[in-house]
Amino acid sequence: MTQRKSPTAILHEGPRALSSDQVREIEESDLAGVLHVDIDDVIEYVHKDLKSLPGFTTLYRRYLKQRWDVYDLDFTQDKADWDEKMTEDERQSFIAVASGFHHGERQVEIELPVFMIGASEEEKLHIAAQIEDEARHTVFFDRFYREVVGLQGDDIMDILDASFPWVSETFVGPFGLLAYQADEVRRNPYDERARVRYGTNYFLWIEGVLALSVMKVTLSYARWRGFLPAYYTGFTATCRDESRHVQGGMRYLQQAVRKDPSMIGEIHNTLRTILSLSGVNSRQIYYEPLGWTEDEVRMLFFQQLRRKLNDVGIDLTPDLEELLRRVQPVLAGG
Amino acid sequence: MVRDALTAGPSEQARRDKLPMYWDFFDRIRSAYPASWALGCRNLPAAPGEGPAYLFVQWAGGVVTSCQVVGPDEPLDATYVLGMDYPDWKALHDGYDAQRTVMYRKIMLEDGDLLEFFKGIYFFVECLAVIAAVPARYPAPVQGLRAR
Repeated sequence: MTQRKSPTAILHEGPRALSSDQVREIEESDLAGVLHVDIDDVIEYVHKDLKSLPGFTTLYRRYLKQRWDVYDLDFTQDKADWDEKMTEDERQSFIAVASGFHHGERQVEIELPVFMIGASEEEKLHIAAQIEDEARHTVFFDRFYREVVGLQGDDIMDILDASFPWVSETFVGPFGLLAYQADEVRRNPYDERARVRYGTNYFLWIEGVLALSVMKVTLSYARWRGFLPAYYTGFTATCRDESRHVQGGMRYLQQAVRKDPSMIGEIHNTLRTILSLSGVNSRQIYYEPLGWTEDEVRMLFFQQLRRKLNDVGIDLTPDLEELLRRVQPVLAGG
Repeated sequence: MVRDALTAGPSEQARRDKLPMYWDFFDRIRSAYPASWALGCRNLPAAPGEGPAYLFVQWAGGVVTSCQVVGPDEPLDATYVLGMDYPDWKALHDGYDAQRTVMYRKIMLEDGDLLEFFKGIYFFVECLAVIAAVPARYPAPVQGLRAR
């Protein structure tokens, strides 16, 4: 957290190459060292390997090296920042954004096990590691909401209940769909078409687009203001975990399409449903106290989507391009 | 009563709590919604061992054109067949929110095109909340519920 650059600086600069030192810092930092890793570098790192996706065993070995202990984080300074330094507008904007993640981590944890059944043996290792990652991320948010925000409850669901009022009604779009897709896969775990539809929503949209975008918004705010060091550390480490998940998910989708080119139709149909819902908001979220505008956040979503589709080699149909054009805002000055 | 409630749509309070763009989307979906729902109630205490009973709702031209209860032994033909256990229906009527009723897989799609169904998910969730607000009797007691 040594730099104080604007939260949206990289959004306007566009893609860039990471130096070998930056890559080494991201891959090899222990939890204490993650505090000094730039979140923009980690987001860029997600894309570094998308054109030559690492194998599942490589991802599993990275997991073993990068696993961190969520109980090593000390939220004492975060609590002081939250209570004494952040303004009420900053707190409200932050919690409005973070609550989606609080619930999202829980959802991606519990909906993933069924996907393992139909996976290859190597991919099963990677998915098992991912489930453990997602459980740890759920605990991370549980601790943050208890120890920093001050929510109270006897168990994890009590805290989820307490933060739910901040979750937008449109959350049910991607996450309700994921729940129902998980049930579809549960009923037919070897149905490759159902698995590709599930993977498109889970790995491409929820993890590759929504998660990385929301991470960037709250983490770039924390870096910019020099606040919430344990949140920055834990959530940046979470982002490093997500890089493995996104790379594994993109590898799965890429292999599925190479094996059966007609699978591209399942990806397109899933994106058609997701994009038809994604231009709608039920609540006004004020991103300005965090250094962002709503248009910049939505631009970030679609920048993330474009990069993954391009890197993995998934073309869109003309109607999807048109749908994307309709829901994608034009970034002022960009 | 359910038909009237669905035709009337969400309350003024519910509409005030969300952005106009959300309701524009809701109204656009409703005006062209060509499908029917069969909302099943499983494990009815009054009929142990029998199949679920359904609330059948047919939409056309932005209004409900048919709304009736279909018993376990009656023929059922709906675009989307969904099912939920009796205790979860009671929880929904007692105030549990409709969004998590979907997200936590209390109500599940048992038959129908999932991706097409989700294009209208905001419309469905709001209608589920409307149905839950219609007075109903649940004569059998239910133990406390948690997410699963």
